[in-house]
Amino acid sequence: MNDKPRRSSNNLNRRGTSGDYKILGESGRKHKPDYWILILSVVLLSVGLVVVYSISPGLAASQNVSQNYFITKQIIDVGLGLMAFAVAAFLPTKIWFRATIPLVVAAILASIIVMFTPVDAVYQAHRWIRFAGISFQVAELIKLAVLIGSAGFLARQWSRGRIEDFNGTLKPLLVMLIIIASIVAKLQSDLGSTAVIVMMLGMMAFVAGIPLKRALVFGAVVLAIGLLAISTSSYRRERFATYLSPETNCQDSGYQACQALISVGSGGVFGLGLGHSVQAYGYLPEASDDSIFAIMAEKFGFIGTASIVIIYGVFISRLKKVIERTVDQFNRLIVVGVLAWLSTQMVINVGAMVGLLPIKGITLPLISQGGTSLVFLTAALGIVFNISRYTSYNVTEPRNNSAQNLKTSHSLDGRGVRRAYNASAVSRSRP
Amino acid sequence: MNPFTARATKSNPSANQRVRFWYGVLMFIIILFITRLFYLQIIRHDHYRQLALQGQLKQYSIEPERGAIKAYSGSQLVPLVLNQKLHTLYGDPKLIINSQKTAKTLAAITKSDESEYLKLFKKADTRYVILAKRLSEEQKNKIDDLKLAGIGTQPVNYRIYPQGTLASQLLGFVNNQGKGSYGVEEALNKKLAGTPGMLKAITDANGVPLAASEDNIQVDPKAGEQVVLTIDVPMQKQLERILKEGLDKAKSQSGSALIIDPDTGAVKAMANWPTYDPAEFFKVEDGDVFNNASVSSPLEVGSIMKTLTASAALNQGVVQPDTTYYDPGKWTLDGHNVTNIEEVGGPGTHNIADILNKSINTGATWLLMQMGGGEINQQARDRWHDYMVNRYGFGNPTGIEQGYEAGGYVPSPRKGFGLSLAYANTSFGQAMTATPLQMAAALSSVVNGGDYYKPHLVDRIVAEDGSIKINKPEIVRKNVVSPKVGRDIQKLMEYVVEKHTFNPKFSGNYSIGGKTGTAQIADPSGGYYPDRYNGTYLGFVGGDKPEYVITVRVNDPKIGGYAGSGAAQPIFGTITHMLIDNFGVPTKTNQ
Repeated sequence: MNDKPRRSSNNLNRRGTSGDYKILGESGRKHKPDYWILILSVVLLSVGLVVVYSISPGLAASQNVSQNYFITKQIIDVGLGLMAFAVAAFLPTKIWFRATIPLVVAAILASIIVMFTPVDAVYQAHRWIRFAGISFQVAELIKLAVLIGSAGFLARQWSRGRIEDFNGTLKPLLVMLIIIASIVAKLQSDLGSTAVIVMMLGMMAFVAGIPLKRALVFGAVVLAIGLLAISTSSYRRERFATYLSPETNCQDSGYQACQALISVGSGGVFGLGLGHSVQAYGYLPEASDDSIFAIMAEKFGFIGTASIVIIYGVFISRLKKVIERTVDQFNRLIVVGVLAWLSTQMVINVGAMVGLLPIKGITLPLISQGGTSLVFLTAALGIVFNISRYTSYNVTEPRNNSAQNLKTSHSLDGRGVRRAYNASAVSRSRP
Repeated sequence: MNPFTARATKSNPSANQRVRFWYGVLMFIIILFITRLFYLQIIRHDHYRQLALQGQLKQYSIEPERGAIKAYSGSQLVPLVLNQKLHTLYGDPKLIINSQKTAKTLAAITKSDESEYLKLFKKADTRYVILAKRLSEEQKNKIDDLKLAGIGTQPVNYRIYPQGTLASQLLGFVNNQGKGSYGVEEALNKKLAGTPGMLKAITDANGVPLAASEDNIQVDPKAGEQVVLTIDVPMQKQLERILKEGLDKAKSQSGSALIIDPDTGAVKAMANWPTYDPAEFFKVEDGDVFNNASVSSPLEVGSIMKTLTASAALNQGVVQPDTTYYDPGKWTLDGHNVTNIEEVGGPGTHNIADILNKSINTGATWLLMQMGGGEINQQARDRWHDYMVNRYGFGNPTGIEQGYEAGGYVPSPRKGFGLSLAYANTSFGQAMTATPLQMAAALSSVVNGGDYYKPHLVDRIVAEDGSIKINKPEIVRKNVVSPKVGRDIQKLMEYVVEKHTFNPKFSGNYSIGGKTGTAQIADPSGGYYPDRYNGTYLGFVGGDKPEYVITVRVNDPKIGGYAGSGAAQPIFGTITHMLIDNFGVPTKTNQ
């Protein structure tokens, strides 16, 4: 045990080189992808388009821009998102595996560049890189980098049998998490995205098999850091206080929370109708992005909101199904990460709109306006779509691609393992 | 434990078990959300609907259009006051994005100072700065088309005055709160203002009503009523000109003149100097100029009162038009002497015509004595008080359609010290006050045969639907004096005019009568100024009977001599010529 730290640091240094990890899935039989992923994505994107289109005039009037500004922007964003989905859907996942280092470097560079841009007026933070009329939210790139990087790191550690090794796996993971979280939470002042990243990392690690006790400790540490983050920023403290009693602070800090509740509550069973949202006319801030769920609640009523939430539920079920049937650990963790990404963002957003969670500046996945978050999430879903081509027919546990897997390769469903794996990795990873 | 076989153990569940656990948590959250949505949207729907309406449903008052004020010019109705919709340009410094550019574009349209706007845009303590007022529809449209952030316009109704300063005090103005101030605007504010409409509408956060919502309620405003004045516009114009010229000649700073129809009480013209431009009332520094002095500024009227004293004595039958009496030239009452001006020429035998013509104070006092059977006693005071207050209408506002009308002052006949002296003074227009309008109305009631008509300025009121309400002349008191007394006074006053010099002379067969008044000006610190007088004139012009009754008032003229004959009388002369020349005064038929 005493020589492990050195080794684990070696491993960390080599993270991203695919030499010691071979992705299993693509050697398996390719079949039809899970079209539900595409269908559900398109349904949610369409809902977003329709809602943004219907409130576009009101938004345009309150911000003094042309009538079609918002809908045009959204159409472009959805188009870009579908393109990202398509490209990702046809790229073999090993390319992503190999792209870990470039992605991480890009995320680091973007995080540095954003510090030199003017502070955002709304959030008093460095969130966006704005260039030539395009704004790019750095946190979204970080999410993708975390997704790919962590999946690769965890899969490799797992394949080496080091997943339960504190110094080799959990410690570097925690260090990475603290660095990323402090960048996103502190410098970009984006606690919502931080929560998403934490959940992605946490769930990937959890599903990869870190010991339950450690997982609990990990959760406790994250919770403690989260509370610390809330208590050290006055703006977050205020939001948290508001969250505890929104209707007493309707005029100031609780304004958005109050207006969100009013929007949701005034929708009733069937809603006011598509063209009849009033709250979008300047009452509810961020009506087309962070608060879009409340606007939908006002327009479509309980029938509409319950449907939307159920669609997310179905989406989550499809992703869970893909996870359970993915043999390769890297691919499997990618889907786990995407599921964490989508579900956490949905839970934080909807939870805030229905007054169960404090308000965070975070988009409702695939529906909210917001180009960067939309394009990166669709790209991630494209990867999942590709992975869904290699699922097994039955529920399966992940299979190790390294030597000890050879003894089980003939059993199970007979798909997947066709080649022997790097034996040296096996020997090195044996404790 | 072999870490490479992902076999589930009690302490370490398999990967899929972990996924399912997480999936379970997520499904639980989704069910929680649906439950919460059910609670918010269905159970608490009414509560939130109320809250939503509280914020969204706004009630606006829709300002009705204020009634126009018109008057006749010959047979044609001309507007004196109309409305014009102009626009106020305002900015919200917090929302203005590009100050430099915004200031530059706006300044170009409003033709104002760009740097001034920049200064206003930097104001941090307010969210509403007024950038320009009274912008035209065209300017407003230009600004609206620019869609500048934080810049807006709002329509404001302004009163406009096609006749400029004409009859400004009589008309009054509409203050910044939209309420009529002074003159007709104040007196008839309710009628002119109309009834505001109401719009209850779902609006956006800035208060702009959203298109046709089912919850919108609109009650249209009821426009104000149109007022047609009794004023004769050309006569008003000429009166104002004549007054100003007369005051200049008399070296007086201020004065009033009015012409009233004795047979109806309708005011035909009413002028004051100095005047102001009602369109720019906000530039006026001394608020006194807003007052219509003819109705709101009572004064000790002086000897013009003698005509009414004589009327009262004649009507009581205590004297006859041809009665002569010995005048001692001095009465000592309550330890003070009542005397005359030098020109009267000491004691002597006089008649009523002399009392008026030579303006004999002791003669007016003698008339009052006759009411008491030869002395100023309780009876004399009571009778004279009855005439002044109950017949001539002094001491109370006449009720003319003007803001701030004053009632004047009449001393009590039974309370106070030195009542005999005080009452002797009232017989020649001192120790009491009255407005020029009250004097004109009182003389009218005498010369028209005894009917006191309520003086009025409104000829008729035209409602929004076009229905017309004629303001019929209203007799407040009949038999003020007998018709015979009226004819006698007419003759006596004609005699006064005959005996006085007018330039140019009156020619033609007209009945022109009058009486001067020179009243000492009371010193606020007690007593009277020794050398300051107000000149007044009360007269009429007509054929067989007076057509117009005229009052002139000249405050503190600086030309020496008697203010009444020196300053006020020439103005009366010019007015009379003007009426004869331009306004078809009929000639006498019985000669």
